Amino acid sequence: MSQVSPLSRKWLPLLPAVSWWAFFFLASLLAIIVYSFGVKTPLTALNPVSFDDPSLSNYREAFSSVYIRVFWITLKTAGIGTIACLMMAFPVAYVLATRVSKHWRSWLLFVIIFPYWVSFLLRTFAWRIILAPEGAFSEALQGLGIISAPLGILDTQMAVQMGIIYNYLPVAILPIFVALERIDPALRQASADVGANRVTTFFRITLPLATPGLIGAGVLTFILAAGDYVVPAILGGARGLMIGRLIALQILEAQNLPLGAAMAVVLIAALLATGAIAGLALIVLNWLNRKFQGASI
Amino acid sequence: MQRDIIGILLKAWMILIIGFLFIPILVVVLYSFNDGRVLFIWEGFSTFWYGAVFDNHRILSALDVSVRSALINVAISVVLGTVAGVAIARHQGVWSKPFLFLIGLVLVTPELVSAIGQVIWFNQIGMSNGVTRLAVGHSLFNTALVAIVVKARAEGISDTLEEAAGDLGAPPYRSFLQITLPLMLPAVIAGALLSFTYSFDNVIISLFVQRPGASSLPVYILSSFKAGLRGDVAAVVVMALGITVILIAVAAILLRRGSKKVNVL
Repeated sequence: MSQVSPLSRKWLPLLPAVSWWAFFFLASLLAIIVYSFGVKTPLTALNPVSFDDPSLSNYREAFSSVYIRVFWITLKTAGIGTIACLMMAFPVAYVLATRVSKHWRSWLLFVIIFPYWVSFLLRTFAWRIILAPEGAFSEALQGLGIISAPLGILDTQMAVQMGIIYNYLPVAILPIFVALERIDPALRQASADVGANRVTTFFRITLPLATPGLIGAGVLTFILAAGDYVVPAILGGARGLMIGRLIALQILEAQNLPLGAAMAVVLIAALLATGAIAGLALIVLNWLNRKFQGASI
Repeated sequence: MQRDIIGILLKAWMILIIGFLFIPILVVVLYSFNDGRVLFIWEGFSTFWYGAVFDNHRILSALDVSVRSALINVAISVVLGTVAGVAIARHQGVWSKPFLFLIGLVLVTPELVSAIGQVIWFNQIGMSNGVTRLAVGHSLFNTALVAIVVKARAEGISDTLEEAAGDLGAPPYRSFLQITLPLMLPAVIAGALLSFTYSFDNVIISLFVQRPGASSLPVYILSSFKAGLRGDVAAVVVMALGITVILIAVAAILLRRGSKKVNVL
């Protein structure tokens, strides 16, 4: 009786979620693009944004030298943070995937992922206690004679850099671990059997097979770090700037939604461009690698 | 011999990294019991600030907003995500790839960007209730999260029971409610708990879409940084940590139990 044609029955359950995202998520992304061409009206006006005269003026402002500088600092901080995270994460993922028993592995994974589920605010806020110039850590370092004046890291770009690395390290470990775990141990054994030493096996077998995981981890870390607001807001003070803070300032305090929207579009464009450059670099590296291997065989 | 040295160095590095990840969290827990007026100067042990939390009506009202919006967010994301997650795991079609792409887009869009979009769009359509704005804003990400968790479980269980129900004449909605949903329950509950903790801890979306007078707890905590660090803020974040830990532990146990039951089936 309630027989529905098989075709309609299959996609129907997706409809509620898709409509929800279409109306609230996709529409809001579209709204960013539309608003980025609008003009902020005086506070007395009925509508906060006017579209009578759409223009590129927001983009001109977003590309002014001040903002370009902050965009650059953001990409640099996120880039350095990503590379540092990958370098710190790889040995950990490697140990987890190859050197511990199954029983320990699941516990250690839980321990490593756990901090990521702890409030982001708490984890960032902790560094204000640790790095406080009059705090215990600073005094201990001075007592040991390692530094001669109270710690001056807080409220600088260095504190932001540290906070970024700390907060996104668990995110970097997981994808690398997954990639390394999928490598069949027999491959490493075979490599040893045909006479390759451990270093050669690592660079010829393990590292190339782990590359997709490294890329995944890198992209994820970079996107999260570049769009961060909390770390620069808490640890950066007046001197530690990232674009997230500047955008928040435009939207929340200056009430300039069109400029904030244009900056968001530029941020996405910058992220995509960085991704494209990284992808291109990878293709070139791959090509060089293959060429090198061909020559050596 | 060489193998041992490398192995020991690698393990030492892992322990060092785990220490690096945990020390800041332990520091906050420790300093929330600091008796001093200035948070980062240790003056002795006391639970004074934990008592102070319950005298601060702004913290209590932020907590109320947080819990209410998190619960509404859970209701939305669990219903939409479960139904979609089961469907995408059970049936393939031309719509599968675009749908998975949409999930990916929702998950990978920088939070800052979707927060900007939401504040613009919510204002445009005249959505003015603070709790609703927070709940809807958080539900967009969490619907995708729940869908992924449920999809993973549905793929792990064969659909023979559902087919049998269909063969015996059960209409789709009945076999969904009586067969599929009970089988999916561990994943659904785990998804609900993850969705709650995401919402309860969320800063960026909440900061943008919030309405004056309806701040969530993380937004209140963030704003109180500007007024200076006090012990009650540390006490609140540690209490929130306690709630998160309990919820995550329950989610982890459920997912584990769930996977064991699958094996039995």
